[in-house]
Amino acid sequence: MSQAPAVSSLLPDTWRVHLPVFDGPLDLLLHLIKLNEVEITDIPVATICAQFHEYLRLMEEMDLDIAGEYIYEAALLIQLKSKLLLPHPRNTDGEPVDEDPRDELVQRLLEYRRIKEAAQALAEVDRMRLGLWARRKPAWEQDEGEELDLDEVSLFDLLGAFRGVLERYDRENPDPIRLPGESFPVRGQFERLLGILNAGAPFDFIHDLRTRTCRAEAISAFLAVLELARLRLVRIHQTESGAIVLYRTTRDLAAEDLESVDA
Amino acid sequence: MIRRDDLEAALEAVLFAAAQPVPVERLSGLFEGVVAADLAGALSALRARYQPAPGRGLFIEEVAGGLRIVTAPEYHAYLKRFFDAAGGNKLSMAAIETLAIVAYRQPVTMPEVQEMRGKQSQAVIRNLLEKRLVRIAGRKEVVGRPFLYSTTREFLMHFGLKGLGELPPLEEFEETFGSEPSEAESRGESHVELQAAVEVESGSGEES
Repeated sequence: MSQAPAVSSLLPDTWRVHLPVFDGPLDLLLHLIKLNEVEITDIPVATICAQFHEYLRLMEEMDLDIAGEYIYEAALLIQLKSKLLLPHPRNTDGEPVDEDPRDELVQRLLEYRRIKEAAQALAEVDRMRLGLWARRKPAWEQDEGEELDLDEVSLFDLLGAFRGVLERYDRENPDPIRLPGESFPVRGQFERLLGILNAGAPFDFIHDLRTRTCRAEAISAFLAVLELARLRLVRIHQTESGAIVLYRTTRDLAAEDLESVDA
Repeated sequence: MIRRDDLEAALEAVLFAAAQPVPVERLSGLFEGVVAADLAGALSALRARYQPAPGRGLFIEEVAGGLRIVTAPEYHAYLKRFFDAAGGNKLSMAAIETLAIVAYRQPVTMPEVQEMRGKQSQAVIRNLLEKRLVRIAGRKEVVGRPFLYSTTREFLMHFGLKGLGELPPLEEFEETFGSEPSEAESRGESHVELQAAVEVESGSGEES
């Protein structure tokens, strides 16, 4: 294992402004390996590990968000470093096991580098073929029973079909017109009943309840009568025929009465 | 029995109207009593007429197991303008990197892709699914039964490949590394491998 210089001397003087942004932790590892001029197959783990952590510290200092994947890789490096510090494992015969703990990392890095190169080549093709346009299926043909290669039906085709069905359903079954429900505050009924009674004649409350438009309004009117009675603004009588008759008392409506109704 | 020059014109018409690359077998099924040699002759005559050449806006390429007519790349800008910039954009490097993994290691699961890239890849995969460059090819029978992803016919068409076999072997990329000091240089070399697949500038349709 060759001893590499400290990371500070590897970075340019102006690293604070020119800190390269790496495309993931493996990219950073490859960069460090290149900087140290070592072979992927013979990584000085302690050095690379230290430099990797140093880089993470720089990222922190610069307030860059350190993605979890960097931290994961950093942890793997520490684990690898500690493995290398331990005495070599021996098999049952007492012979040292001929196995480099770095192998897994080496394989990953080699694979990653190959993929990156392949991706570069594909990107070049992508760029060159950008200008090639071919006929696309016209929209009407895609709507009709299009002959699909069964193998190629993806989740997105299914989702697309489902969305089409939903859209058609919505078109054919428009939402019903919704009217906002009326609310019947007790205060409103209170004032309505008081208004009728102030106007003069006593009247049959049961009849009044029956002519309310809905249950909620009737309940509200009933509560209003209870309030009127509590405030002694009305007296309630029952006739022999069973009608409940409200009479206005002489008591005047006071401001605090209304407040107590609202409360 | 169709006359020879009619045959060539009929092939031209079919390729013009088809929305997908047309396999040669489909073409041969269209004409009764035409022997394979005549069809091949007519096809290569047609393809010779549709070579990329100055003053021509179209050429015939062999891609994804079939033949199709595509536009010459020189006129990209006008088409982009005509179609109001819908489509015709380069893929992101993250997308291509992920695509490379799927292409070379398919069928492959999301965790495998992430392990290879060393980072999260859900968003990229979703994007590739939407572009139909990859598809769900089933589930892997391991804990969690993750989805397996493969490349699609659209992928072949996008990169001008006749089939997956035309992808340069991944091992070839390795050779450009190692002791090579300059990354830029080694990169340039590795591109040579794919030049053959890029039949755009060298003139497609030679081999078939």
